Amino acid sequence: MHGVEASGVIYLYDGGLKGLYCCVYESVYEREIPCAIIPESEDQPSLFARKRIVTDPGKASRVRASIPKKISQRALELVEHGYLTCIEDKEMAILKFLLMAYKTGRGAADMLGHPDVDRLFKAERHLMREVHLLKGFIRFSDYDSALGAVITPKNFVLPLLQKHFIMRYSQEDFIILDKVHKAALIYQDRKRQLIPVEDIRFPEVSEKEELYRGLWKQFYRTIAIEARENPRLRMTNMPKRYWENMTEMSELL
Amino acid sequence: MDKLTILADSAKYDAACTSSGGDREGGFSLGSTVAAGCCHTFSADGRCVSLLKVLFTNHCIYDCKYCVNRRSNDVPRTAFLPEELAELTIQFYRRNYIEGLFLSSGVVKSPDHTMELIIRVMELLRYKYQFWGYIHAKAIPGASPELVYRLGLLVDRISVNIEMPSEDSLKLLAPDKTRRAILSPMGRIAGGLEENKREIALYKNAPRFAVAGQATQMIIGATPESDYQIIRLASGLYEKYRLKRVFYSAYIPAVSDRLLPSADTKPPLLREHRLYQADFLMRQYDFAADEILSDKTPNFNPYLDPKCNWAINNMQNFPVDVNTADKETLLRVPGIGPTSSRRIISARKTGRLDMDALKRIGVVLKRARFFIITADHPRGLALNKESAARALIDPGSFSYGMEQLSLFSAAGLPGPGDIKSLKEAAEEAVLCTASRLQA
Repeated sequence: MHGVEASGVIYLYDGGLKGLYCCVYESVYEREIPCAIIPESEDQPSLFARKRIVTDPGKASRVRASIPKKISQRALELVEHGYLTCIEDKEMAILKFLLMAYKTGRGAADMLGHPDVDRLFKAERHLMREVHLLKGFIRFSDYDSALGAVITPKNFVLPLLQKHFIMRYSQEDFIILDKVHKAALIYQDRKRQLIPVEDIRFPEVSEKEELYRGLWKQFYRTIAIEARENPRLRMTNMPKRYWENMTEMSELL
Repeated sequence: MDKLTILADSAKYDAACTSSGGDREGGFSLGSTVAAGCCHTFSADGRCVSLLKVLFTNHCIYDCKYCVNRRSNDVPRTAFLPEELAELTIQFYRRNYIEGLFLSSGVVKSPDHTMELIIRVMELLRYKYQFWGYIHAKAIPGASPELVYRLGLLVDRISVNIEMPSEDSLKLLAPDKTRRAILSPMGRIAGGLEENKREIALYKNAPRFAVAGQATQMIIGATPESDYQIIRLASGLYEKYRLKRVFYSAYIPAVSDRLLPSADTKPPLLREHRLYQADFLMRQYDFAADEILSDKTPNFNPYLDPKCNWAINNMQNFPVDVNTADKETLLRVPGIGPTSSRRIISARKTGRLDMDALKRIGVVLKRARFFIITADHPRGLALNKESAARALIDPGSFSYGMEQLSLFSAAGLPGPGDIKSLKEAAEEAVLCTASRLQA
């Protein structure tokens, strides 16, 4: 694959992963690199020409299949994680990585010294750190019919939280609402779905729920060793932006 | 609510808090465990909270001098009912407040009687509530081997506190807990772990015994042992009892006694920090205790972490070529840890690494650059002693305050009276370290 030119074109796509794969397809087969890839819903007036990329499932699956074949399984993982991250230019980062990786071959995803790999790797790391923290920081409330929780993450973490919470609560029904990305993970009767939602109004909190929240707050306050008090360390380990959704921390805000 | 406050307050000095080591998928009941552990929140002292850490009861027939629940101390005493504690654990777990339970206890009537009560809680959790989240239980010193074994089958991690870094100190401060009473259950547990490995090899569905292994804990700073004695003990325990972790708990005065340090002693936090650093070096960086300290230098350097200290004392091993060195050698370089060394080995398969590449990989170049050869620096960096010293000094040494530095008895360093401020102490440390660097 040679002779790829930087073009002054902006690709518009539907915002989905399949649509993004179609952008990759377009770039490879038209031998051009767009100057930006933007979801149609976020388009802003500018001087650049636009190219609307239609989402064709056939093209998308050809691109997706080509990644582990021509590069590696790890490259596919890096791309799909990259898609979930919150970096502004994630689409271009993914495209640049793939263009470089198609040329390089098998070891591409491990070339952590290469800037195009590094950008995606760092974004993935930010995403995975948030996933890891949220596994601990998510707080559920018992609404009798189901457990419910709210999160406000920077990255789109729900797909990566599914497995963990389904294994943890396999016998329960639960909902995790992502207020920022307007989506919810719903697990009911041992079946899961991840769907877009505008908002969910949770029912009133029961007395029993208040009791356990109170016990937890009490436990939390009791266990600190005064002689070792260290609010800076606490903040480093538990950034303030998580506090609003944590019952023992929200009153400290 | 009072009950929980009393029993959580009593348990908070038990340092062990990790929920790591168990790896159970879950799916058939409530709960799963995550191999790397999970922090659910951080307390006001900055420590991770992942477990409901409580005493079953703070009644106790023993009279260990340092313990707030010692028999002769007048404090409110209470106890959970097994049902009560199990229910509390479950309800906290469902709300994702905790990964599981950490249960210790004062000794009620006898070690075995107490063990039976603890076992009852575990049986309720595992069999009635079908709870398969993480459980760490303390075995009571002096408990009979059968009960220790039964407990091990119900929990993920089981530990016996070794309490003191030497038998003499143990006799002095906790005479009710004899050395034998402590080491015997530890031996039983180690034996149980061995047997279980063989059982599982023969029969895949054999019941699991303490999948997250055995741990222990000792109090630092209540008694006069040197750091060298402590890490040698830890090293021996890791080897002999196949421990997963040793926890070091800085002594915090909770009671007065003429045999204890004075009641306004500040907990030796910097020393505890150094011990954990040394502990990690032994477990993850393949250092031997004798490489870290020795009879001639029995205590840690307050200004340098043990790895940097070793590097300065062993300059003949450097510079290290990052493009050819093996993992063990890379791990000796200040600024390169297990993650960076793995990434270096992986990244260099596709090209020789230069300083920029190392920086992207996550190597702490501020320190490492004085000790390595890279593609763009084939003869290493010229060693400016003062800047090297500044880079190697542990900035954390000064964040515990002046008093912590004065608690150290490191040879050749100015005593507490000579240092006027943290800034001066820092400058003093730079000069001292720079002078130790060979040309």
